Amino acid sequence: MTDLIIETQDLRKRFGKFDAVNGLSLAVPAGSIYGFVGPNGAGKTTTMRMLTTLTRPTAGEAWVAGHSVLKEPRAVRRAIGYMPDEFGVYDDMRVWEYLDFFAACYDIPENNRKRLIDDLLELVDLTHRRDDMVDKLSRGMKQRLSLARTLAHDPSVLILDEPASGLDPRARVEIRELLVELAKMGKTIFFSSHILADVSEICTHIGIIEAGQMVAQGSMQEMRSQLMPHREILVTVRDADTAEKALSLVAGLPGVVNVQRLDPRGGRSRLRIDYTGDDEGVAAINQKLAAENIAVLGFTEETKDLEAMFMRVTKGVVT
Amino acid sequence: MIEEAAPLIEMPEEALTPREHRLERGAAVLRWGAIANTALSVLVMLLALAGGLRLIPDLFPTLHAALLARVAAPDDAAIAGVILLTQVNISLLLVLMVGILAREVWALVGVWLLALVNLAAVAVFGFTPALLTVVFAVWSGIVITRDTGAFRLNPVMLKELRGRMRGVRAFFVLTVYLALMSSFTALLYLVYIPVNRATGSAAAGEVGRVLFMGIVGIELVLIIFIAPAFTAGAITGERERQTYDLLRTTLLPSPSFVLGKLESALSYVLLLLLAAIPLQSIAFLFGGVTEGELVLSFVVLTVTAITLGTVGIYFSAITPRTLTASVRSYSATLIGAFVAPIVASIVLSVVRTALGLSSPIIEAALVYVNDFLVSLNPIATALTTQELLINRQVVGFWTDTLASNGSTIPRVSPWITFTIIYLVVSAVLVVLSIRRTRKVEG
Repeated sequence: MTDLIIETQDLRKRFGKFDAVNGLSLAVPAGSIYGFVGPNGAGKTTTMRMLTTLTRPTAGEAWVAGHSVLKEPRAVRRAIGYMPDEFGVYDDMRVWEYLDFFAACYDIPENNRKRLIDDLLELVDLTHRRDDMVDKLSRGMKQRLSLARTLAHDPSVLILDEPASGLDPRARVEIRELLVELAKMGKTIFFSSHILADVSEICTHIGIIEAGQMVAQGSMQEMRSQLMPHREILVTVRDADTAEKALSLVAGLPGVVNVQRLDPRGGRSRLRIDYTGDDEGVAAINQKLAAENIAVLGFTEETKDLEAMFMRVTKGVVT
Repeated sequence: MIEEAAPLIEMPEEALTPREHRLERGAAVLRWGAIANTALSVLVMLLALAGGLRLIPDLFPTLHAALLARVAAPDDAAIAGVILLTQVNISLLLVLMVGILAREVWALVGVWLLALVNLAAVAVFGFTPALLTVVFAVWSGIVITRDTGAFRLNPVMLKELRGRMRGVRAFFVLTVYLALMSSFTALLYLVYIPVNRATGSAAAGEVGRVLFMGIVGIELVLIIFIAPAFTAGAITGERERQTYDLLRTTLLPSPSFVLGKLESALSYVLLLLLAAIPLQSIAFLFGGVTEGELVLSFVVLTVTAITLGTVGIYFSAITPRTLTASVRSYSATLIGAFVAPIVASIVLSVVRTALGLSSPIIEAALVYVNDFLVSLNPIATALTTQELLINRQVVGFWTDTLASNGSTIPRVSPWITFTIIYLVVSAVLVVLSIRRTRKVEG
């Protein structure tokens, strides 16, 4: 197996009587883009605050880059770049001063800082705003500046809490591209989101949390096959009779788990075939229908998106 | 891709780098120095008590000869001096300890300076307990001077000053402040001249003194209001702006954070004080004011600013909101420096009348308690110090005669006790604030 760069064991956090995180076991492989998904209030931020040494866990253990969050917090801080969901921005600073300040906080010698700042600004495409005041930047730019800040000490893991929330579509795409770029530079990216589209497009791994517990986690392929054991083929035909004929024909084929009549749409009848075979099998079903002279108007395989997975595993329990 | 990323996991194994280890060690040496000095001063106090109660005969001259041989003062004054000087060393050691942890350049210089000054004190005054401080300061100095690169400009201070001094605001505030002070001075002068003519005593020295006292008084009041206001929002402001968590996930040491905030606030207050010195100097045109008064007034003003600034920082560290922190800082200042001493001195005068002047021991005790109460309040301290300076030409120690039996007791000008008490309070509050900001929320 690949090395895990973030690992938690039975992590718990209790606020009074409320279990914010309840026995979470997380496994983030090095070099992955890990999407940490869950409804609001599921415990995403609390988990991240424990991983970034800001909150002490009630029980359990967590390791980041091989260092215990409880025993070696400074080593953990050296290894991570953290971006909270509320980006803290000083309003009375220039863009370069902001980065200079955080670079100094990370103990980077003054002689190296100027080059570093130029490089970081170039990376997040803010070179032209170098001397502007931070509070004059747009929300998307501030978010990119925050991301640059987390990179100042060249950490191996980025822990980003809702990096794309509250951004307009263009800024969201820009952040997404930046994350992919950073992953190419060898950084592990662990980010939370409740916007599933963001996650499905760039993630290599995903973990779904609900009510403080991990509901499912793994690589995207694993998750697909685990949560959706069969493919779904949607067949559209002209009328109910044809649909009935098709149903009886397909039902007996090998690999077909279930065939179901769906509600007609636009006056056309529809069938859903749950199928476990490979691509040849799918093509064979299509040929079989044609050979039996069944007039097929549409034959499509439904790609199961994250949304479906998500709805399937979560129960909507948010305490 | 994952294989390529693997070497990045190889992070430094230890939580502390060798540099951090070295700094911790240097600071620990100073902490031991402070503890040793505390033990020493407690020992001297106990011995003085034993000597004062005549439990051991001829103890005072022996102690004087051993601890402060080259100062020709009464034995009891010399012993009081030893205790006070030890307190100064303790607070300086504590401040330098925090400075080293915060990687301040002044701490690096300060350690050697402390060793030198103490060495000089041994040579000039025969202040032998200073050898203790010399040993610890040199030891710590040797440890930290091996890595001078660890010391740097405080990033938090730099950031704060960049923000504070930017644009016209800072200079506008300074201008308004000076304009107000100047018009106040002019007003004082215009009011005082007719009064002076009417009474017929046209002593120019008195005009000078009134102006000087007026300016220092108003500066003192201003500092009492400004210093906590500058610092009460220092840490709560970071919390409110959501930047506190960001800073805590960086490698910025807590001492750097707290000291940086304090330094930036105090440097602005210091700027205000320095800007008003030319105004104070107008008093020299009239005479009646000595350089000693100017220096002592500056000391009292600066110490007040430092301590009240630290009070603000402390409440800022333990309170979630700026408003609450401000209210608490002002309340603590008001109670600690004004209400408590005033109430206590009222109680004291009641006690004095009730007991009469029968026993010299009780009278001496009452005098010392009263001196202590005066030293708690900057305004009372300034007034008493000036009164001593003018009427008795006393800067430091002096000998007072008791009314009950005519024996003499040593007394200290309140600015000395004030400075020591306030600096010790500041050092303790800074240490407590650092401890609070280090704490991880549970």
